[in-house]
Amino acid sequence: MTIIARRLAGHLARGLVMILVVATISFFIVNNIPGDPMAARYEKLIEQGMSPEAAAQGVKVLYGFLPTGTLWEQYTDYMSGLVRLDLGVSVSRPGTPVLDVLGEATKWTVLPVLAGTLLSFLVGIVLGVYAAIKRTGKLGDALAISGSLLHGIPQYVLAMLLVVIFATLIPILPADGPVDILFEPGFNAGYIGSLVEHAVLPVATYALSAYGGWILAMKSSVVTVLGDDFILAAELRGMKRSIIFRYIARNAILPLFTILALSLGLLLGGAVFIEKIFNYPGLGLLLINSINDRDYALMGGAFLLITVAVIVANIVADLFYTVIDPRVRSGEEAR
Amino acid sequence: MKRLAAAVTLLGLATVTACSGGSTTQSGSGGGGGLFTTIDVNRPGLDAAAPPNPYNPKGNSFSAFNAMKIGWVKNHLTDPNQALPGIAESWEIAPDNSAITLKLQPNAKWSDGQPVTTEDVRMSIGIAYTQGSTAFSVTPGAAGAAAEVTVVDDKTLKITQNMDNPSPKFARGVLDTTVLPSHVWKDVLPADFWDKLKTARGEGAEAEKAREEITALGQKVLAFAPAKDVSAGPFVLERVNPGEALLVKNKHFYNAANVAPAQVKFLNFTGNEQIWNYLTAGKLDHSGFVAAPTDVMNRIKQAPGNEVIKGYSPVAVGMGFNQSKKPYDNVHVRRGLAYLINRDEVTKVASPEGGTPATTTTGIHQKAAPAWIGDTVGQLEPYKPDPAKAEEEFKQAGLTKKDGKWTLSDGSPWKVSMTAPSGFSDWISAQENIKSQLIKNGVDAEVVTVADYPLYLEELAAGKYDVGFWLMALGPAPYDIYQRLYGASNGWTNVAGKVTHAAPGKGGNWMGGPEEIEVEGIGKINPGELTAKLNTATAEEAKPIMTQLAKAANQDLPVIQLWDYVNNQFVSNSRFTGWPHDDEILRLGTGVLASGVWIQLGMVKSKQ
Repeated sequence: MTIIARRLAGHLARGLVMILVVATISFFIVNNIPGDPMAARYEKLIEQGMSPEAAAQGVKVLYGFLPTGTLWEQYTDYMSGLVRLDLGVSVSRPGTPVLDVLGEATKWTVLPVLAGTLLSFLVGIVLGVYAAIKRTGKLGDALAISGSLLHGIPQYVLAMLLVVIFATLIPILPADGPVDILFEPGFNAGYIGSLVEHAVLPVATYALSAYGGWILAMKSSVVTVLGDDFILAAELRGMKRSIIFRYIARNAILPLFTILALSLGLLLGGAVFIEKIFNYPGLGLLLINSINDRDYALMGGAFLLITVAVIVANIVADLFYTVIDPRVRSGEEAR
Repeated sequence: MKRLAAAVTLLGLATVTACSGGSTTQSGSGGGGGLFTTIDVNRPGLDAAAPPNPYNPKGNSFSAFNAMKIGWVKNHLTDPNQALPGIAESWEIAPDNSAITLKLQPNAKWSDGQPVTTEDVRMSIGIAYTQGSTAFSVTPGAAGAAAEVTVVDDKTLKITQNMDNPSPKFARGVLDTTVLPSHVWKDVLPADFWDKLKTARGEGAEAEKAREEITALGQKVLAFAPAKDVSAGPFVLERVNPGEALLVKNKHFYNAANVAPAQVKFLNFTGNEQIWNYLTAGKLDHSGFVAAPTDVMNRIKQAPGNEVIKGYSPVAVGMGFNQSKKPYDNVHVRRGLAYLINRDEVTKVASPEGGTPATTTTGIHQKAAPAWIGDTVGQLEPYKPDPAKAEEEFKQAGLTKKDGKWTLSDGSPWKVSMTAPSGFSDWISAQENIKSQLIKNGVDAEVVTVADYPLYLEELAAGKYDVGFWLMALGPAPYDIYQRLYGASNGWTNVAGKVTHAAPGKGGNWMGGPEEIEVEGIGKINPGELTAKLNTATAEEAKPIMTQLAKAANQDLPVIQLWDYVNNQFVSNSRFTGWPHDDEILRLGTGVLASGVWIQLGMVKSKQ
């Protein structure tokens, strides 16, 4: 068995156990969240003018979708369903499988967060290298300060700032929703243009808030590599600056790839505030709504999905590191 | 590598260029009649995957736009049965309220061109039974339940009321029923449904089983997903994404010629802030009531074209006491607090645009009160701010004042602890204001906020709070008004006319008031039983009962009525005009979007 296959098997086994543990914990936490969703629904119907008897009957029918039996029976049903990838049925969307609801919401989270993360990664590492090389100059300082500043601003503040600037003061971009409904969905310029237009501010928020971290991490990594003997040797041998630059970048970027893989794992759960501000219908917004609706099955499913994403990202990061860093491979082989 | 990148770039450009030609199918801004933009203020969070099913809580069915009711019940002060035409062009209510005969719109058609028939209405009534409604209930002996549904001819239908336990709002219950296409929904109900219903109305194990089967059908109804929307309303659902829903004009609608907009766009929202943003940006042509602080309200009004139409909303808010807890079991404490709270000030701070300070506590909205209890309103104690009277009441309750602060009779400290759910900004502002008013008068007070409304209701029902806010006066029907004070929250449960009383702290009885009250000038009354009588009383029979209950509520103060809500409707005159200003049609039935009714009846006109 190769080193990678061995590591993969070990990771998968550990990951599976972690998923089961997390599923168990989240099941019991979610099912013990206080609050009476039936009373809230009843009050809502009464406020809308429904008679008390009719409202009571309406609530009774709706909450027929709630799992029945003791908590232990519900747990065993949940776990056996999980094995079949059946996460139950949503109460707030009666009859709809939780997996379908999660699938719909996930795409709206993954695409903008992925775009924002990759954009910030690319810009951050390029400018990070530059900031390290020019660290004694004004431009290097300015880049480092911009990184610290943006890294320090909370995501939701940045989001609101962008809304104020680009949707209110200079109204050139939409501040809410994923796409204009007036465009026929499909592979046409109008629809794609609208999708992109609506994604600009959320993506910019993700990118700007993450950019600071990348530039600072890359700068620090490059500065460490710059002091290594092989760089000095390359300079003494009179190599071209572009080749030296490649040496530096390749070695300095290794730890950042690990962070990138982990960031991608966190992307599913990291968008709660942004999606709320931009009314973007992703997993974060779904999670907030499911808590408000006390939709236990949906809440549990969302928590589980976020956890699985982090576990998978950890596995991918580790394997990726094994592939790209020969030192890790040779260390394993030497054992 | 560079060549590959260049090739990919060129290919991408070519694809986008090719697609940008004829395949862009933007519907434009409304093709003639214009685009009407609104929100479903009752239901936050659009769900693109939800079916066009009016019974599904997330269903992409918008009442009065692509879902029709038999009639659109009005917001009348006292008569619950007044309505505007919906699928029924007209109706006749028997003088003794024993039956309603519906005449359907002669030209009503579904969006697929099929005519709307009495069979559609009959099947919709069957569906309503599975969900529970005032008129169509399987609970044996339920007040105002229908007895028979008879098809008279292809456009006429007669529904009789079970006169064993009649209700004055029977006709309202019938009219407020959504009509569905039987050719789409026919398989949802089993073939033997009406036989099952007959069995369910009986007694014994078989009837119980039939009732359970009908209730179980309710889940099938909720989950039913028609392949496409078939609407008898002025619009039909075209498509939905998680941010917006698009409806287009239904050319088969019976009054299509008078429907102004060509398209309707529903915007998604998850909280009030988003609605405020839409309104301040002038994006919405109409929005139903949404609470807004003064500064936001001013910004909304300043947006070009915006107008706020104010009307009657049969809802009030009261400060409810948990009488299981001391010292709130003592009426003099409750009265003393009422004399310390300046309701004008509270309303000015908490809900200046959305509320009118309550003139006194009657349990009825001040606008409807004169119609129900006449001159009695003027005879009731108004509880105007009066610290001297408050002191007198507190002394009668045995409270003592030490170093300027009121303490309990045993000398231990007293703090009025008020609880509100997070996000209810008007309630929290009101409680903060009351707190400062009480502290100024020597009564220690605090405001506690809890995470959200479901948690608030659970803990309130469990009797965990001393004082909480409570929606009340939910008209127009007298029973609905008073069951908020003398219903389950105060121990009385009314099932099919049989009234039972639960002890304080049990069965949701968080108010914990006494089962009988000695009312000055009336004598001993059981307010829960009197309230239950309202469920079957005619308007004239209800008036003396309501007078007794108003006096009881005013004297005993299970709640202090703080403000009566005002129905603020937000409209924009930029693209459409003709908005009605009539109180009675600003609020129209359960979950109904009023602007849909205004549009389908031809009141709203396009400016384009």
